Amino acid sequence: MNNKNIKILIGVIIIISICLMYVLNLYNKPHLDIVKTEADIVVNVQNLLNEYKNDENFANSKYVDQVIQIKGEISEITIENGNSIITLKDSTTTSSVMCHMLPEENLNVLKLKKEGEITIKGICTGYLLDVIMVRCILVQN
Amino acid sequence: MKKRYLVFFILLFVNQIFSQEIFLEKDGYVSFFSHSLVEDIKADNNQVLSIVDTKTGEISIQLLMRSFLFKKALMQQHFNESYVESHKYPKAIFKGYILNLKELNSENSETVIKGILAVHGNDKEISVRAKVEITDGHINISGDFMVEVATFDIKIPSVVRNNIAKIIKVTFNLQHAPYN
Repeated sequence: MNNKNIKILIGVIIIISICLMYVLNLYNKPHLDIVKTEADIVVNVQNLLNEYKNDENFANSKYVDQVIQIKGEISEITIENGNSIITLKDSTTTSSVMCHMLPEENLNVLKLKKEGEITIKGICTGYLLDVIMVRCILVQN
Repeated sequence: MKKRYLVFFILLFVNQIFSQEIFLEKDGYVSFFSHSLVEDIKADNNQVLSIVDTKTGEISIQLLMRSFLFKKALMQQHFNESYVESHKYPKAIFKGYILNLKELNSENSETVIKGILAVHGNDKEISVRAKVEITDGHINISGDFMVEVATFDIKIPSVVRNNIAKIIKVTFNLQHAPYN
């Protein structure tokens, strides 16, 4: 009888620890690794901006929270609070795509030149005056 | 004599038109901070858009909820999917006025910004103490204020009720440059 109780107790402890490990794992779930993640959508600056201009809600449903790979011409590189922002522009519209780079890319961003063509991968968060991308990295052509 | 006055007034008028009135910030900073006994939660947004019209003192601020970045991925997911429902309400918008903007200078930069804050489909009138510094053609606005989660109809599940504060501190720092 006593032996059986101990077995039950051990069983309960094992189940509880498995649950606890699962919860802890979930709680500490890491952010999506942009470098290793394949892009959901590949698009160029002009098409992305046109789609946002035509129908913001539809474009949001398509692009927001997705990993996007975008190709375009650099119009500006700025540094804000130690993080770099690359602005990609299309000559046919006034708005642009603002890519907020991950800090790991700071050194590589320094090598870039204005008006050069680059490919960037990141997560789209939506549209204000410009399309905003966060957690971006440079993609080697 | 009359002609001279006329020319003077025309010049003054032209000057008024060409002097800079609209100031813009595209990568402003807004963060919020929740303190509870269980844990502290902080999220930063570095993509805040803000426009100031110095003629009227009007200020209009917009940000994307999904641009708030958290330390923990799960928190960010819950924040967007369950609490603020970013798919339904992707933006937070503030529209208001900087009071006494014309009287502000380097010695006297404290003022109040008053207006409507719209979050999660709910509008709330707020009045915030802020520091407005006008230096060589730039307008820097910074400050913080407290906001009650419940006023915006944001529902927090009972499981995590102890992890999230009922009143959250919002900090902002916006550096406007002339828009041309």
